[in-house]
Amino acid sequence: MQQSFEFPADTAVLAKIGEATVAAGRSAGFTESEIGDIQLAVDEACTNTIMHGLKEDPSRTFQVVLRWASGEVEIFIRETGDPFDPTEVPQPDITAALEDRSVGGLGIYFIKQLMDEVKYRIDEKGMKTLYMVKRGAGCR
Amino acid sequence: MKITENVQNNVSRIFLDGRFDANTCGEVEQFIRKRIDDGMHYFVLDMENVSFIASAGLRVVLVIAKELRNTSRGDLCIASPQPNVRKVFEISGIDNVLQIHEDVERAAKGFLQ
Repeated sequence: MQQSFEFPADTAVLAKIGEATVAAGRSAGFTESEIGDIQLAVDEACTNTIMHGLKEDPSRTFQVVLRWASGEVEIFIRETGDPFDPTEVPQPDITAALEDRSVGGLGIYFIKQLMDEVKYRIDEKGMKTLYMVKRGAGCR
Repeated sequence: MKITENVQNNVSRIFLDGRFDANTCGEVEQFIRKRIDDGMHYFVLDMENVSFIASAGLRVVLVIAKELRNTSRGDLCIASPQPNVRKVFEISGIDNVLQIHEDVERAAKGFLQ
């Protein structure tokens, strides 16, 4: 099964993306905990797209494709904004004391931690695609 | 995001209801900053009705907690997170730097001890 959406670069769309992601995760038979993982990773990736890639300009849009089968959900996030490769972002220090904590980088960290595979590519026309997949415990 | 507050013994109990994401984190930050300006130093963020938290929400919690500890000898803690929200605090390691309590009363009492 597959669903495709086009959204404006506005953080108000995050709730709707969350609902669609949860529905896809349920259809694929994931546990509630795994569905929470997928929802968080997709939310973080879309937030980066909206805020960094498309500079929160609601006249610009991005595409989200959810593709799922039993025990697997794939997500494609496509846009033509500024290049931003989340796979290259360094890992934050999650053991630092509060006063030494950096407040950035956690979103990318979640994506890498919670998804089974994360890939980023830019095609010759400048279209950027972030691809993520989550597999159920019995499907890895 | 629906935000309500109840103050007892100089502890502000802030009840959040909704998603705590990049779209709503600004409302929460503004609300708490206004209360800090009003002279409050101790905050419990009740997350019983927070269905989802993203790193944007964590950022607000971290920044405010850091400021309260550094500048006004105050503090902020979390109460009653749902399992999926608690998990986000755990994988980010924030549960090591902020107190997370089972309920708001216990959280507020923690400040009085």
